[in-house]
Amino acid sequence: MLEASFRLAKGAFVLELDLAAEPGITVLFGPSGSGKSLTLRAIAGMVEPDAGRIAVDGAAVFDRAAGISVPPHRRGFGYAGQRPALFPHLTVRQNVAFGLRDHSRAERDAVTSALLARFGLAGFEQRRVGSLSGGQAQRVALARALAPGHRVLLLDEPFSALDEALRQDLRALLNDLARERELVIIFVTHDLREAHLLADRLAVLDGGRVLQAGPRDAVFRAPSNRRVAELLGAVNVFPATVIRRDDSTLVFTADGWEGLAASWSSDPVPGQAVDVMIRPERVVMRRGAPTVNALPARIVREFDYGNSRVLHFEPDGAGPRLVVELASRPYDVLDVRSRKSWTLELPPEDLHVMPALARAAR
Amino acid sequence: MDAWADPLRISLLVAASATAACVAVGTPLAWLIARARPPVAQVLSAISLLPLVLPPTAVGYYLLWLLGRQSPTGRFLLDGLGIQLVFTWPGAALAAAVVSLPLYVRTATAGFEQLDEELLLAGRTLAGPWRVFFLVVVPLAWPALVAASLIAFARALGEFGATVVVASSIPGRTRTLPAAIYDANLAGDDRLANELSLVALLIGFVLVTLLTVALHAAIQRGRG
Repeated sequence: MLEASFRLAKGAFVLELDLAAEPGITVLFGPSGSGKSLTLRAIAGMVEPDAGRIAVDGAAVFDRAAGISVPPHRRGFGYAGQRPALFPHLTVRQNVAFGLRDHSRAERDAVTSALLARFGLAGFEQRRVGSLSGGQAQRVALARALAPGHRVLLLDEPFSALDEALRQDLRALLNDLARERELVIIFVTHDLREAHLLADRLAVLDGGRVLQAGPRDAVFRAPSNRRVAELLGAVNVFPATVIRRDDSTLVFTADGWEGLAASWSSDPVPGQAVDVMIRPERVVMRRGAPTVNALPARIVREFDYGNSRVLHFEPDGAGPRLVVELASRPYDVLDVRSRKSWTLELPPEDLHVMPALARAAR
Repeated sequence: MDAWADPLRISLLVAASATAACVAVGTPLAWLIARARPPVAQVLSAISLLPLVLPPTAVGYYLLWLLGRQSPTGRFLLDGLGIQLVFTWPGAALAAAVVSLPLYVRTATAGFEQLDEELLLAGRTLAGPWRVFFLVVVPLAWPALVAASLIAFARALGEFGATVVVASSIPGRTRTLPAAIYDANLAGDDRLANELSLVALLIGFVLVTLLTVALHAAIQRGRG
């Protein structure tokens, strides 16, 4: 378990990080400029925080108050970035063995050969790194980071320069390695799909702070506020006011439309201003009238993405505007092409209520 | 022919020693400047540039004071260690080194600054600073270091003001090529001045050729 809690000011930017990563892949997700790379550099020991503590399984590698700052190569953290950054003057084997300074030559060769084989690069030992393809080079970079037996891997968008097929292979490989070796991996990305595919746990970083962290599905399903929801790609977020709430349900009004929700963050009380979200693929289109959360609406715009359609709805009466995503097959079966007026059903368990952000907050 | 052989030998000795001193002192200094945080880097850089903006005779004058019996360092060298640098070729080499150092440091710093940050980051998570320096930084920056050495060597070879103040121009001992040209010209020996200048021109031509090759390699490295 890696725990990092520190403060680092760099010019006008202030990083105030609080992050805990268990074995498995923790995706650090955030827009560019949110402090993701700086976070990794600080954990790796390349920049020193102004205050705070970084510890692995309780043992501090950095502790400002205690005057501890372990140099990067003694922290036991492997690092790989966007580019493979292999040492161009060394062979593949020499690159992978670079961190194995205290081993005998035979041990070094055994470790590097085993790792290269695991990465599908058996027989590449003597190759010059200049002759490798992008995917091969990135594999060597990962092998190099793992070679010293590091249990913590810090990965800064390591696949962003590769094409989709290669990314998929490497993601699968990384997932397997994380399980096999019980690695603690912090994976930085600003790619939502990649975050969803890889994350066991997800930490959403914005403006130098972790806005929300937790198991992937919990974060995706129940963002703590509008900002997190928007960063995670929610397109249906609308303002509302709480009317009443009991243990399992919450009734709200949005532009005069009354809705029932079964999921919320923090502790909304009647009269409180809130934001309500529903993912576009969770909205149901009906011909008849559903019993709960029915919203008559008509399609005003359509976008064809090939495997799915994105439909923009305008309410007939009171209520929020909504975006609905529908797979191509149901689109044809329901004959959405010729029918534009529908009754939308918003299942209460898919409606998530979040406290509204103060205007000053963003 | 021996009229120019002695000055040439002394000049090459002085310039080679001065270059070695520049490599030894200037390489770590350039690395510090390339890696240090803003105020520290600027201060170090400014200090290292100082000999470039001073008249070489002023550099020589300060060195003379520093190495002479008037100063504590001079007394320590003379009485403590028994090292006499004034009016000797090592003194000339020291003067030439001080004058050449800014050029060495500037060129080496530029080479270090071109190195890929990601590469150094990956290196530092795997090995200590010394290992990274000697196994990654130096092998990757060597064209810039070679170029820096050539520039320092060329500057040291042509150095006149500082060396002549510190080491004078003693025939067969501290009379370098530039000093010999000056003396020959002063004595009205046009033939000798001509020969010596021609030797300087030939050496200069070789150095410029090597420098061009090294700088080209350094630029290619930086791009790669």
